[in-house]
Amino acid sequence: MKTDLSPRMKVALYGLMCVLLIPFVFPTWWMLTSSVKPISDIFAFPPDLWPRRFDFSTYARVFELQPFARQYWNSAYIAALVTGGTMIISSMAGYAFARIKFPFSNAIFMVVLLGLLIPSEVTIVPLFQMFLKWGMINTHWPLILVPIFGAPSVFATFVMRQFFIALPVELEEAARVDGLGRFKIFWLIALPLAKPALGAVAIFTFLHSWNLYLEPIVFLSSTQMFTLPQALTQFTDAYGGAMWNIQLAAATMTAIPVLLVFIVAQKQFVEGLAHTGLKG
Amino acid sequence: MAPVTLKSITKSYGTTPVLHGIDIDIADGEFVVLVGPSGCGKSTLLRMIAGLETVTGGDISIGARVVNDLEPKDRDIAMVFQNYALYPHMTVATNMGFSLEHRGAGKAEIAERVNWAADILGLRPLLDRYPRQLSGGQRQRVAMGRAIVRNPQVFLFDEPLSNLDAKLRVVMRGEIKGLHQRLGVTTVYVTHDQVEAMTMADKIVVMNGGRVEQVGAPLDLYDRPANLFVAGFIGSPAMNAIAGRITADGFMAGDVTLPLPPGVSRADNAVYGIRPEHLSLAAAGVPAIVKLVEPMGSETQVTLTLGEHTVIGVFRERLKSQPGETVHLQPDLTAIHLFDATTGGRLN
Amino acid sequence: MTIAADTPRRKRPFWTIERRDAAAGYAFIAPQLIGIVTFVLFPLGLVFYYSLHEWNVLANTFNYVGAANYQMLLADKALPQVLLSSAVFSAGLVVLNMSLALLLAVLLDQKLKGITLFRTLFFSPVVVSLVAWTIVWSFLLQNNGGINGLLQLIGVEGPNWLRTPTTAMISVIVVQVFKNVGLNMILFLAALQGVPRELYEAARVDGAGRFKQFRRITLPLISPTILLTSIITIVGSLQVFAQIAVLTQGGPGMTTTVLVYYLYQQAFQFHFFGYGSTLSILLFVIVALLTFVQWQMRKRIVFYEN
Repeated sequence: MKTDLSPRMKVALYGLMCVLLIPFVFPTWWMLTSSVKPISDIFAFPPDLWPRRFDFSTYARVFELQPFARQYWNSAYIAALVTGGTMIISSMAGYAFARIKFPFSNAIFMVVLLGLLIPSEVTIVPLFQMFLKWGMINTHWPLILVPIFGAPSVFATFVMRQFFIALPVELEEAARVDGLGRFKIFWLIALPLAKPALGAVAIFTFLHSWNLYLEPIVFLSSTQMFTLPQALTQFTDAYGGAMWNIQLAAATMTAIPVLLVFIVAQKQFVEGLAHTGLKG
Repeated sequence: MAPVTLKSITKSYGTTPVLHGIDIDIADGEFVVLVGPSGCGKSTLLRMIAGLETVTGGDISIGARVVNDLEPKDRDIAMVFQNYALYPHMTVATNMGFSLEHRGAGKAEIAERVNWAADILGLRPLLDRYPRQLSGGQRQRVAMGRAIVRNPQVFLFDEPLSNLDAKLRVVMRGEIKGLHQRLGVTTVYVTHDQVEAMTMADKIVVMNGGRVEQVGAPLDLYDRPANLFVAGFIGSPAMNAIAGRITADGFMAGDVTLPLPPGVSRADNAVYGIRPEHLSLAAAGVPAIVKLVEPMGSETQVTLTLGEHTVIGVFRERLKSQPGETVHLQPDLTAIHLFDATTGGRLN
Repeated sequence: MTIAADTPRRKRPFWTIERRDAAAGYAFIAPQLIGIVTFVLFPLGLVFYYSLHEWNVLANTFNYVGAANYQMLLADKALPQVLLSSAVFSAGLVVLNMSLALLLAVLLDQKLKGITLFRTLFFSPVVVSLVAWTIVWSFLLQNNGGINGLLQLIGVEGPNWLRTPTTAMISVIVVQVFKNVGLNMILFLAALQGVPRELYEAARVDGAGRFKQFRRITLPLISPTILLTSIITIVGSLQVFAQIAVLTQGGPGMTTTVLVYYLYQQAFQFHFFGYGSTLSILLFVIVALLTFVQWQMRKRIVFYEN
């Protein structure tokens, strides 16, 4: 409904959006500022929107209390593997379902789509037993294998399929006449043109892996192996009370890098998501 | 360069037949146009020659080889697609050299061939651009360049001009024809536009409903259409077709009697065909009422009512008649086509 | 005259073009298919198998008990509360999420300067680590935390958000809505921008006001997006775990114990793997049923499909 708005209307809309922004922006601000407050100022009244005293030692304490660098690395490399693996597997499957004629392709696609109805929360008990049997408990294998092959990758396959269906088929026919086989057509023609969809898949998959919480607490037991979400909840004192400022320092370090990447690349980010097959 | 032979080609999608036994011989170096209304199977046939559709029955040969089970890349053909199908993520030069690159040609050879093709088509200044930076006509040239770079045995064109505006279409028509005269490569060209077929082809294949209606040189088809379908399809405005009876006194269509050439055998169920330019105005002749006058400058197109029939005449002279006036028509007796109304076949 | 008679049959190669392409197709889907079978379908079968057994890891027992676990499910006094909590959570989340997403998308679709900045900010929580986001809110919602501090400044005595049954549920819902509403907002925005402008112009010429345009043109045209996002949001709401674990641990009492959290407790805290598997089956049935119902509803609520 892009009609020109009256100045009064504009002011009203800006005002409304600013009020609505508070719960979206304030928590991040509060996390940042509280992470550098000494513990005594954390619950000060009235609340300080800007710290009255700074205490940067909280950031050092994060690394003393936990093998935080190691945990950071765990989360990062797992997310990278899951993202890369999902992009490969689901772009190949999505391409085949969209473009290649083979017997039972529709039936198989339906079976694969079933995966969307079976999130790993449903299968967590047998998954635990399977990985126990394979000696993979307290390793990162479950956190890598389950998302690459489970429901998140099915979603990715669906997004890729929708994209490839919309790609002009003549491009691939031209490539066939030009002498390419299926794999080269996929690799040199279809995939380079699928960058927006691949971008969306990468974002969804990365965030999924980065946010995993149930799986790590089920599959991992030693702090060396922990991922970030799990580690963040471990900053407690001897009595089980939360060490808020240190926990918030760790949370800040977890959140800010991804947030910065997002702000730098927000255009591609948002447009990539908007162009997934979700429009129906 | 190679001849192409299609022998009793059939094609079905599931149980739906779309081609019912096509036989066409294309000589080495010939420019053949497949023409027909949409859905007649002409594109399917072209795609079968390319190897993009499988052959249900019959044999396709290129040169001495039967190619039914060969991949497109092994058939030594090149194809120009309706919407050009240029790879959007590659430059013009890469687009043109792509097929050579994947046939193991060296860098120097690719560059040489691409430059050769670019010179022929005037693409030199555009080699580093991307398809999105080109106009419609330029894209069309690049698509042709991609086809000629490889020096294939056969060129296949699938309605290549249908996305261009009318003016550019005429220009590109000339360029494709010129390219064929220069390279002499066997060419199969699909279009639904009979003007393209007439102007470009050495030989036209008229198709309808999955069958070949007639094969022949453009003017042969125009002068002696084998049946009603070809008669109506080739030529614009279309041939006038009037149903009636052939008698000793002439052709009886309702209250109207039309003159016939001598020596025509009688038939009760016939169609009288006459092209608009073969009608002329005369002091005495078949009376007709003017319905609509369309001056084109070089000629005048007039829609007339002849009894209960509507006919179109095209006259060299500029007509002053008003709608409602009566004029007299004289058909050229040497240019009358008679058809059997039931089978559509030619009678004379 | 048959075709076989007039064209002598050549010997066709086994690897015809179709067969080669089909083989490529199977090769392309093989990793996905094998993965689905190994890590989704096979475990689903196992869940069902386990659910027919009494299995306590601590006591090291594994006995076939038939439908006993399902009878236990029906008799479980905690389960009605768990299902109620799940229902309240999912319903609250979906309604709030979808309406806020639509409101934000409509706001962001206006011709205003700096709208991209607003879009970025509304979307930003999506990329913040889920547990980090939840921890900050947990901190804000403490009895002596930031929210009650700010409320006290304007003279309002805030409740102990996470320790009072009603407000605990509200908190859990709201925290999750703010975290992820940006996703649906972006999808709605894309759908809104896909509505042809001429339709609004035609409606204006026909004398339809802003509200009427929205109801009669915008909503019908974006209804496929609304349906798809609502399915994804509902299925997602049934999987919520981290937020509950960090904010309330299912409390106070069991007021925020949703099904997944209960399942986790039964299987991994109390080590009742058999009963945990039965709860998994229940979760699966609910997810499947809701998806099916929504998919059926698309004929009635979706006015237009491309």
